[in-house]
Amino acid sequence: MTELFAVLMVGLGTYAGRALFIITLANRTIPPAVLQALQYVAPAVLSALIVALLIDGEGNVALGVPEAAGLAVGGAVAYKTRNHILTLVVGMTVYWLVRALICDPQLRVC
Amino acid sequence: MSVDRSIVKQAIFDAIPLWVPAIPFALIIGLAVVESGMNPLLGWASAWIIFGGAAQLTLIALLGSGTAVAAAVTAAIVVNARHLMYSAALAPKFQEQPKWFRWLGPYVLIDQLFAMAMLRLDDDPRTWRTYYLTAGGFFWVSWQVTIAVSLFVGPVVPSAWNLGFAISILFLGLVVMGIDTSPKLVAALAGAGFTFLFAGLPNRAGLLVGALVGVLAGTIVERVKSDD
Repeated sequence: MTELFAVLMVGLGTYAGRALFIITLANRTIPPAVLQALQYVAPAVLSALIVALLIDGEGNVALGVPEAAGLAVGGAVAYKTRNHILTLVVGMTVYWLVRALICDPQLRVC
Repeated sequence: MSVDRSIVKQAIFDAIPLWVPAIPFALIIGLAVVESGMNPLLGWASAWIIFGGAAQLTLIALLGSGTAVAAAVTAAIVVNARHLMYSAALAPKFQEQPKWFRWLGPYVLIDQLFAMAMLRLDDDPRTWRTYYLTAGGFFWVSWQVTIAVSLFVGPVVPSAWNLGFAISILFLGLVVMGIDTSPKLVAALAGAGFTFLFAGLPNRAGLLVGALVGVLAGTIVERVKSDD
């Protein structure tokens, strides 16, 4: 139930953001200060998300060598090619390779 | 009332190349649903209800990782803050449209469609509406089909592959490709850095601290730069 509620809220919020000016405020313009802040929401939230997803149950950021390698190389590929598919393929491949090279499943190092 | 076939064709022709980069998003959302333990039907329904990959993936990934619902919902809604700019930019063009279309149009207003619609602002109202609805409908149907497929593929992928990590890489790609000014870079670094510093907060609430500081940092750096 909670999940359904959350989905509905996000659906409503997303629609509202797209519809606000089209439906109600067609003759208004966004104040310059708001417009200025808006452009920083996506980079700030998305990068906060990347870190948040790495936080483990104890509140520590669990960034192992394979994850760091995958993100570093993936980030470089994204910067150079601006191609999502390539970024994903290369980033994940590096992550898997490093994990296979340095992680011993028996020892559970990673 | 006949629909101009050449406009329909043109809209689909223009939409296809923009659609291809969205495919990995759909696939990863399917994986995220499976990994989060969410009911697959709700996972699919969320694609109808939200119709925005970044918001949907943010919500599912955060809910699945035990983030507080309020924080997950907030993050998922604000991640698409740029939609406000799309809405403002297209509002004048929508003024000449019938009411039903002013209500329906925003539902499918994704990045790709915004880019396409902005290039055709000189169209007469009816042509523009046909073009918008065709491309929007194309994106909508393709998205729902791909998500549905990924929900079947997701459970088949061995969990040892840790494909969930692809979510982080996908978000990183979005950040990197979106950074075109130095204040945006600062916003991204501050967002990540402060989330890291506040990682100990319960329910991943540090995410909201990081996001807020990131926005402030970007704004401040832009002001400082323009003062020089």
